[in-house]
Amino acid sequence: MKQILFRLFFAGQAAAVVLGSSACNKLLDPTPVQQLPADEAITDAGSARSATIGVYDRVQAYYQLNWPVLGFLPGENVRFNGTLNQFLQIDQNQLSADNVLITEAWTQLYQAVNGANNVVAALPGLSDPLLPAAEKNQLLGEAYFLRALAYFDLGRGWGGVPLVLTPTRTKENGQGLRRSTLAKTYDQVLADLTQAESLLPDIATRNRAVKASARALRARLHLYRQQWADAETYASQLISSPNYSLVSPYRAFSTAPFLSRESIFELTFSNADANLMWNNWFPSALGGQFNFQPVPAAIALLNDPAVGGNRAALLASTVIGGANVTYGNLYSRSAQRDDPSYVLRLAEQYLIRAEARARLGNLTGALADLNVVRGRAGVPASTAATAADLLLAIENERRVEFAFEADRWFDLVRTGRAGTVLGVTDQRRWVFPIPFNDLVADPGLEQNPGY
Amino acid sequence: MKTSTLRRALLFLLWGGAITASPAQSNTGPLVSGTVTDAASHTPLPGVTVIVKGSSAGTTTDANGHFSLAAPTEGALEFSYVGYAKQEVLAAGSPLAVALRPDLQQLSEVVVTGYSEQNRKTLTSAISSVRGETLQNIPAASPDQLLQGHAPGVQVSANSGVPGGGIFIRIRGSNSVNASNDPLYVVDGVFINNTNLIATGLGNQVSANPLADLNPQDIESLEILKDANATAIYGSRGANGVVLITTKRGKAGDKTRLTFNTYHAWSKAPKQYQLASGPELATLENERFINDGGDPTLRPYRPVAAGGRGRPEEQPTYDRLQDVFRTAATQSYELSAAGGSAKTQFYIGAGYFRQESIARPSAFDRFSLRVNLDNSVTEQLRIGTSTALARTRRNVSSNDNNPVGVINSALFPRTNLPVFNPDGTYAKYGSFDNHLALINNLNNDAVGTRVISNVYVDYKLLKGLTLRSSWSIDFNDMYENNFNNTLILAGQPRGTANSFLARDITLLNEQTLNYSIDFDENHSLQALIGNTLQRNTLQRTSLAGQQFPGNDLTTIASAATQTGSSSRSEAGLVSFFGKATYSFRQRYTADVSVRADASSRFGRANRWGYFPAVGLGWRLGEENFVKDLNIFQELKLRGSLGKTGNQAGISDFAALGLVQGGANYLDLPGTAPLQLANPNLSWESTRQWNVGLDAAVLHSRLLLELNYYDKYTSGLLLNVPVPRKTGFASVVENYGAVSNRGVEVQLTATWLKSAAVQWSTTFNVARNVNRIEKLAAPITTGSRDIFRLQEGAPLYSFWLYHQTGVNPETGDAQYQDVNGDGQLTVADRQLVGNAWPNYFGGVSNSFAYKGFDLGFTLNFEQGAKIMNMNRFFLVHGGTQSNIGYLAEQLNRWQRPGDVTDIPRLTTNPASNNYGGVVQNLSDRYLEDGSFLRVRTLSLGYTVPTAVAAQAHLSSLRVYVQAANLFTITPYSGLDPEVNSQSGVANTKNFDWATVPQPRTFQVGATVGF
Repeated sequence: MKQILFRLFFAGQAAAVVLGSSACNKLLDPTPVQQLPADEAITDAGSARSATIGVYDRVQAYYQLNWPVLGFLPGENVRFNGTLNQFLQIDQNQLSADNVLITEAWTQLYQAVNGANNVVAALPGLSDPLLPAAEKNQLLGEAYFLRALAYFDLGRGWGGVPLVLTPTRTKENGQGLRRSTLAKTYDQVLADLTQAESLLPDIATRNRAVKASARALRARLHLYRQQWADAETYASQLISSPNYSLVSPYRAFSTAPFLSRESIFELTFSNADANLMWNNWFPSALGGQFNFQPVPAAIALLNDPAVGGNRAALLASTVIGGANVTYGNLYSRSAQRDDPSYVLRLAEQYLIRAEARARLGNLTGALADLNVVRGRAGVPASTAATAADLLLAIENERRVEFAFEADRWFDLVRTGRAGTVLGVTDQRRWVFPIPFNDLVADPGLEQNPGY
Repeated sequence: MKTSTLRRALLFLLWGGAITASPAQSNTGPLVSGTVTDAASHTPLPGVTVIVKGSSAGTTTDANGHFSLAAPTEGALEFSYVGYAKQEVLAAGSPLAVALRPDLQQLSEVVVTGYSEQNRKTLTSAISSVRGETLQNIPAASPDQLLQGHAPGVQVSANSGVPGGGIFIRIRGSNSVNASNDPLYVVDGVFINNTNLIATGLGNQVSANPLADLNPQDIESLEILKDANATAIYGSRGANGVVLITTKRGKAGDKTRLTFNTYHAWSKAPKQYQLASGPELATLENERFINDGGDPTLRPYRPVAAGGRGRPEEQPTYDRLQDVFRTAATQSYELSAAGGSAKTQFYIGAGYFRQESIARPSAFDRFSLRVNLDNSVTEQLRIGTSTALARTRRNVSSNDNNPVGVINSALFPRTNLPVFNPDGTYAKYGSFDNHLALINNLNNDAVGTRVISNVYVDYKLLKGLTLRSSWSIDFNDMYENNFNNTLILAGQPRGTANSFLARDITLLNEQTLNYSIDFDENHSLQALIGNTLQRNTLQRTSLAGQQFPGNDLTTIASAATQTGSSSRSEAGLVSFFGKATYSFRQRYTADVSVRADASSRFGRANRWGYFPAVGLGWRLGEENFVKDLNIFQELKLRGSLGKTGNQAGISDFAALGLVQGGANYLDLPGTAPLQLANPNLSWESTRQWNVGLDAAVLHSRLLLELNYYDKYTSGLLLNVPVPRKTGFASVVENYGAVSNRGVEVQLTATWLKSAAVQWSTTFNVARNVNRIEKLAAPITTGSRDIFRLQEGAPLYSFWLYHQTGVNPETGDAQYQDVNGDGQLTVADRQLVGNAWPNYFGGVSNSFAYKGFDLGFTLNFEQGAKIMNMNRFFLVHGGTQSNIGYLAEQLNRWQRPGDVTDIPRLTTNPASNNYGGVVQNLSDRYLEDGSFLRVRTLSLGYTVPTAVAAQAHLSSLRVYVQAANLFTITPYSGLDPEVNSQSGVANTKNFDWATVPQPRTFQVGATVGF
């Protein structure tokens, strides 16, 4: 008995030792099952598709909350009604460089850039019979378009930014690369859009980039650069395209199943890939947090039949504690959670062309374009007669047309009217601060003056 | 190949040693019997361990102090008993009469060290021991919390008063920034998982403490290994200190003892928030309106007839907090049986513990079962197991940093707003839920299953040479089911549900070869080598459902939309270790140890780490020149130096550059870059030296233990910020250094020790100075970036604007202009204090007279700062339109000449009073968190044995106890022991709608059958 036990025991020990040494290597080299090594990320048709989809995901990430907020909250339509100070700072036009929303947006934007850089770098050299040339061009074009969008937003947000154009493998990527000028940044956007336009298919997909998306963004770029003729040309391409038309009433473009004929580029969400923007607008009685509340002046404008017209549908109201409370209803799909983020709409192209024409002296054309937008909203046609009146009318039209989208702040900064309209007289405050933490991590980075 | 040589050598020793084994002599001989008594009182001592010297054969004395066992005629018997000096008697002349002398010196106790035991006399390390019985009736769920105030240099603080929730524990400070700072817990040789598995988001709070799966009543002793000499044998896992938990076992020859232990306790919040009433709130709001330039005739609280909300004095006040806080019940039942024959010993314990949170509706309960078995198969071969099973259930609810938490929803809404709408539905304001809706409808259920089991085989190869092999599993499983109905915000709009399953499994195999020899009277040697193989697998599955047909169908099967996800991660660790202790006349002792670890988390070239340590001890008191002084009964100098490592807390694949899936769009699969590669990633290592002094004076009535240590952690596993233009925010690198230096003092005074009266007091105090020595760039963390890590400053430093005062003329807050540029920008934010105490410690006192015992424990911390976020939010000057006010806001500046630190009410950003650039991040909400707390106060009575015997009981003790009876503190919040964002690394002492530590009254009884 004793002997048997000894033998069993020693056999067990021997087994443990043998297993131990061979098991060591297995123990020490587990393979990740939910990540891929970075250098194996884009190797064939399937991974090229996934990597491109991944860039959309990053653009989705900053367009879901942060970018619309940075567009509307510094404006005068919406006030912050919650507890998070980073939003309050934005509402009060008192940004500081440690604002965590600014940091998050900046980070997400460059994540999108890096994702696009990966696709741009890997695709040209990729040969997989399962990836037809047309699709390869499309994926590449999408990456160029999304990079252009990210750099455009970086430029209008912060001014000139470092232009990183190669995928990051080590943290040294882009070392020594300093901020470029805003002009250089916009030049890069133009270069990417030119590439995108040539590579992308000429179809009417509305939630992935196509030729029209590149043209629409280009029209906006030219508007921001005050290149009026180009802005008019590109906007006209969209306006004259049979694939696009304004939908009526106003509410139709933001009504499920979305992807209306007005939409040029929108980011689609679904219940599995949810957009929780509604949560910020709905009062808590309806399950939201009521962080963003339309201000009385904006409510009055939207409800005014001569100004808002059927854009009053952007508002809804409910009774809380016996009192009527009005809230923003653009993002309203609380159950389905599939509100899109609106990036490029045809209405904007009309207003771009209107402004460009007004600048170019074509007042009749400008007025006509403006009134197309007003007509759709069910408000009387504008009778603005001078260029100045027209420009003001266009500015005011944008305020109600894009009331809760990423526009108002950038629009007033672009036209130099943020001081007059919003009272932000310190022009240094017309760009966002570079995140404080990134200045520390990146010695080459310079802060915008005034922060 | 240094590593494989070492490995082969160790393997040879293990394997080769086994081959050369030969069965040793067995101990048999004539029966020897006798009686053991107390030398002073001559009363018999039951339960004394009697061992034939040089063997494992032994027994214990019975209730009358009798023993009998077989012993070789020329052999010697060793008698040992807790609290008495060990005695050796020749086994000649049966019956023997042995009188044991009380031993006042804890210095001679046996201390469990890594993989071995050692007499405290020869110990060269800094190790604190805490006996299980001193802790067992404290009404807390987990054993780590019980250590509070009991061990010098061990800082323990509960994150909140939620039962079974997370604990902040640091042994000699924090060494690491990104890697874990929690000690390693080893329960009966099993390295246990300490990862919180609860996935339900509760507001940045670590919601579960995995140690709450252990029943404190099963614990025999806790040893806290603090210096490198003690912890280096745990190598890469030892840097943060090691807590060895030894559970109760049966003793050879003990008659089976049945013990029933129970207590019931009632807890309440010791303090309540002071909110501004409805009329006060309305007055403040009117004032804010006018200060903002509003037309006084249009102030919001004006007569209803004038279109207002009614005059201030007409405003009602609703007290929501009274609905949240309750008198919470705790109950504990524990039944154990312990005993054994000469061959087989056992301990079986079963327990049930249930504790309600003082904040509705959370509660925790635990069923636990432990079986510890040891069997001597032959004289040489011993097998056994330590197995614990636990099933825990938590009814969790969110609080802390969560607007839809229960406390938040009661604390923050304005007091003049009704709880219910006119139609009887729950009224909700701003971002907040309705507290009653939450209390009545929260349905978050987390059920944990835990198995910690170890089986071992001990084989005595030769005299003094033992081979041990042990196989262990730590299986931790958490199953959560949440349903949010439509009455609460989380359930909007049509009901939501989540189900999470997490499984954390550690498998461990370990071999040790232990050699112990006394060459002669002068020389003794203890040596050990061993190896460990370890694998950890963490898997998580989550399911979510939205849109339910109604509030009665609560499983995800009923949901219209069902989504799911799963994840898996794995890590391995291979280790070899050895240590030796040589002692000359128990006067001079030298220790040396080394461990080599290979971790799968690092690249091939860097995976091996070597962690050596040495320790020296000199019992000066044994030298004649000290003996002649006739002052010291013990005087010992100790010193040690060593290195330990850390790899906990980084992700399993941190060294690899990875692209992750799940970056989906249009419901198509997408991939996106996740992290940058760092093939050079390796261990974070801590160098520590320690010098210590142990002394006993006044006939060993006064014991002193003194330690000074210096730790330097370098190669920090750090998320080093990288320029974000790369598309990444950080990369894990070995960069940076943190130091901790400190001193620990423990004094034990035995005032009286006679048969009738015993009175002793232990006092300990420690100071730790933490400093970030090297950091690539400052790192901000926590809500609103309130914490900032910066070179030269300690961890847990608060980064805020320093308010110099409130201008008595204008009523506006004034802040220090740090860079002197005349304007207030983020550059003027500065480190204004930190969460470390200057010193902390505890006092425990026990007094016994005849059958009565009286004890108390105090613990204290001095100088730590707390960021009081409740004031941050509730003293907002009008900037928060949906939040009420603390009564403190009434102290605001009102008119020129007012001197106060609460500025004028206004929402104007230019004033920076509450909003603006400062965003209320002012140090006026940073407070002194010093405290002195009466942790426990207990009075017990042990019924005389004779009386108990009449009731057919062998013993009976009844007691009453109060926990947290009172706390002396300048802190204005509910409780200075608070850590609301424990789930966020590098933050501490952050108070935000957190459940305070309750004041508890308790009655209990321990019955022996």
